[in-house]
Amino acid sequence: MTDQWVSFSRRGAAELVHLKGEIDLANANDIGRAIVARTTSASAVLIDLTAVSFLDSAGVRLLDYIVGDLDDRGKPIRLVVGERGAARMTLQLCAFRADLLATDLDRAATELGG
Amino acid sequence: MSESGGPDVTQELRLPWDDDPEDLYEHAPCGYLTTLPDGTIVRVNETFLTWTGHARADLIGHRRFRDLLTAGDQIFHETHYAPLLAMQGEVHEIALEVVGADGRRLPTLVNSVLERGPGGAPRIIRTMVFNASERRSYERELLAARRAAESSEQRVRVLQQIVADLAAAPTEAEVAEAVVRAPEPAFQATSTSIYLFDAEGDQLVAVASTDPTTGNWDDMPRSSTRAVAEVARRGDLHVIGSVAEAEAHFPDLAESMRRSERGTVVLLPLTTGPADDQGGPVVLGVLAFSFRDERALTDGELRVIRLLGQQAGQALDRARLYDDARRREERSSFLARTTRALDEEHRLLQRARRLVERVVPEIADWALVRLQVGPAGLVEHHGGPAPDPARIEARTSEAIETAAPVFATDGDGLGCTVLPLIVRGRVLGTLALRMAPDRRGGRAEQMFLVDLADRAALACENARLYEQERAIARTLQRSLLAADVPGADPRFVVETHYQAAAQDMEVGGDWYDAFLITANKLAVVVGDVVGRGIEAATTMGQLRSAIRALASAENGPARLLEGLDRFCDRVDSARMATVVYVEVDLLSSEMAFACAGHLPPLLHEPAGSPQYLLQGRSAPLGSRAGDVRRVEHRLRPAPGSRLLLYTDGLIERRSRGIDRGFEILAREYARRRDAPLKGLTAGLADTLVGRDHADDVCLLCLTLGAEERLERSIGADPLQIALLRADMRGWLAGHGVDPDCLNAVLLACSEAVANSIEHGYDDDPFGVVDVTATISADAVEIRVADRGRWRGEDAETAHGRGLQLIYQSMDEVAFDRAGEGTTVIMRRHRGAP
Repeated sequence: MTDQWVSFSRRGAAELVHLKGEIDLANANDIGRAIVARTTSASAVLIDLTAVSFLDSAGVRLLDYIVGDLDDRGKPIRLVVGERGAARMTLQLCAFRADLLATDLDRAATELGG
Repeated sequence: MSESGGPDVTQELRLPWDDDPEDLYEHAPCGYLTTLPDGTIVRVNETFLTWTGHARADLIGHRRFRDLLTAGDQIFHETHYAPLLAMQGEVHEIALEVVGADGRRLPTLVNSVLERGPGGAPRIIRTMVFNASERRSYERELLAARRAAESSEQRVRVLQQIVADLAAAPTEAEVAEAVVRAPEPAFQATSTSIYLFDAEGDQLVAVASTDPTTGNWDDMPRSSTRAVAEVARRGDLHVIGSVAEAEAHFPDLAESMRRSERGTVVLLPLTTGPADDQGGPVVLGVLAFSFRDERALTDGELRVIRLLGQQAGQALDRARLYDDARRREERSSFLARTTRALDEEHRLLQRARRLVERVVPEIADWALVRLQVGPAGLVEHHGGPAPDPARIEARTSEAIETAAPVFATDGDGLGCTVLPLIVRGRVLGTLALRMAPDRRGGRAEQMFLVDLADRAALACENARLYEQERAIARTLQRSLLAADVPGADPRFVVETHYQAAAQDMEVGGDWYDAFLITANKLAVVVGDVVGRGIEAATTMGQLRSAIRALASAENGPARLLEGLDRFCDRVDSARMATVVYVEVDLLSSEMAFACAGHLPPLLHEPAGSPQYLLQGRSAPLGSRAGDVRRVEHRLRPAPGSRLLLYTDGLIERRSRGIDRGFEILAREYARRRDAPLKGLTAGLADTLVGRDHADDVCLLCLTLGAEERLERSIGADPLQIALLRADMRGWLAGHGVDPDCLNAVLLACSEAVANSIEHGYDDDPFGVVDVTATISADAVEIRVADRGRWRGEDAETAHGRGLQLIYQSMDEVAFDRAGEGTTVIMRRHRGAP
């Protein structure tokens, strides 16, 4: 039921999560559960937010949780956001660490793989 | 005297007829008796003594005449003979039997005369006795002949009655009942049974008996060695005159004769007469009747018995034909009714359902139809209990592979017939049935089942084709409706909704369309083609293309409709279609529209209530009776106006008049003035027609320009936030707000609304959040108001990030908790923050 917002694939060793559309209070919890189910044992995670047209604080909370979980397990994670756009704006406003954010999917994948 | 001195020959000479009276008396050709009045014999002649063997000495003075008679005749003598003689003085030709010395009886005829003395007193009786032996045996023959004739006549009467009964017996059972009653009255038989061959002629079944305790009462196969089967095969009448005779030929019969104490048995085949092509009569059964004693049957009786066999056979044959005819009639009536019932349903699933429901219980107790359509196939079953799945599966595969019916046989352990459903040489599926055993087999029954399968196959195939056409029409219509509606232009927003009829209706011809004629000229259309199905969908596609082709920067709505009228001359199915066509000049905000027989558009300007636009009206496309002078109307609605185009399915309902429909639509439309545009058309359709609607519904809502002030009220439901955001995004874009500012305002607004829903209303679904947005040259101001209970301390901790985002994305943020609930006022400058 979250398929319209989230899909998964593999990129090398990393689990690649594609998000798209508007992520807000109404769907963040479901999306979060779907992502956690796939990333809880992943050795590296890439979350592609370039197709996200809106991200609110509920979405931020979800990303914050996933980042915390991987940090605790010592596994790398990158959030790929465009140069501009709603997702980048929200994450910047929430002052996400610069090392988490990437603008280019391929480069982020290389970093994780290396 | 003679002179010659010879003996006087004249004295001596006696002529032959010159009898000596004494000799004549003694040797007369009849007996003479002279008796005293009491009957005592006083004189008797030699003839009488010779006939009877009595000695003269034993009779004279010792016996009375009556003593010589049989016991019966003695009584007759006392009661008739003597009184008559006494009264009349003489009696004539009295038949009496005289008992001889050796006890032999001599039939006689007697004449007597009573002689009276001078005083009139009886003196003597003279009796003349004639030998009547010949005459009596002749009489006996006559009598026997009469008796034979009488019994024959009775037999014939009985048989006539039976023939009449047979003629009136319409069924096999009644014929058997009539036949089994014949031998007792006709031949004085002791008991009778009847055995008949079953429909296939393989089994002899005992069907009736006047005494079921006799005989072997089991059914037997045609090939049985039992006497009844033997005789049935031979087709000849058999009379078994004694147990010994039975012993020699039919041991089973001898045994049964001994047990039931029968002396003679008649086995009579019941035959149709020599009508059969193969030659020889067809034996339909055997009539068995028996006599307690050994009984010889006369030729006459045997003839009659054979006749009975033929009469009964023919009656049976007729009854069977009649039964056949009745069954044939039943079958053809069933087929006709089933075909009709299937025709009443158009959809494949419903037809398959009907089929099994018709078959059970009328001809089977379980039925299953399986159709090889779609990826999963289709299975419908009725009745029960279901047979073993693996075995029915095997039989089904056989029927499909061979494309031939697999009929149930006795003792196959399954009892199910599987019929392939074949159309144009292709096996569409199978129909499996479990029928009662008495309906199995039988050539006619099999033909009937094949006929049923043919009809079912055709009905299913037609339904499948119908489904296919329906799917094509639906797909065609969807593909035409789904064509890209122009968006991403801040000057207008188009929202559409199409809802197919809920009941099993074919697709309608409703459609909507929106396209840009030029960069600054928008056209929106809603129309409705007459009819349903693939033709309506096709016509709709043609009209839609025609409108796109005819629309131009110069023409305008009225000219376009004239073009469509001409189009109808070539595409007749488009005739009487209704269309509402609207052109909007996006630079001047001027709107021109024309309505060809369609329901009037409903316009809602930001100030005031919704108005139906009743101008610019003319007749449906290609109308011959209507006014087809095409007119159009122009107006300039205020920015932020919403225009609703719709088809009749939205307001026409059987339960209410169309005026009432218009009224409700206007009211519901006004009520949603502040609702987000996204979801508006679907919401209207939902409210006005609900889910169970009989017609297609098509809506198009066009919002023009940006309102000066955006006012929305949404329910306290997180799902509503996205709808609000869609409106606000369009509104902000319409006012030329740059993307960074736009995103920031959307984020802040969303967070504020989320806060109200989560904290103000604690997720109370009945809460309402009012959002107002105003814009000026240098700033955007958003007010989010709820009437809930503010719990700021929670927000500070658990949802601090939301508030933090509001503060960070807006330049000024203020909370007003003065009245009921909380209002957040947020402001952002239109330059970068």
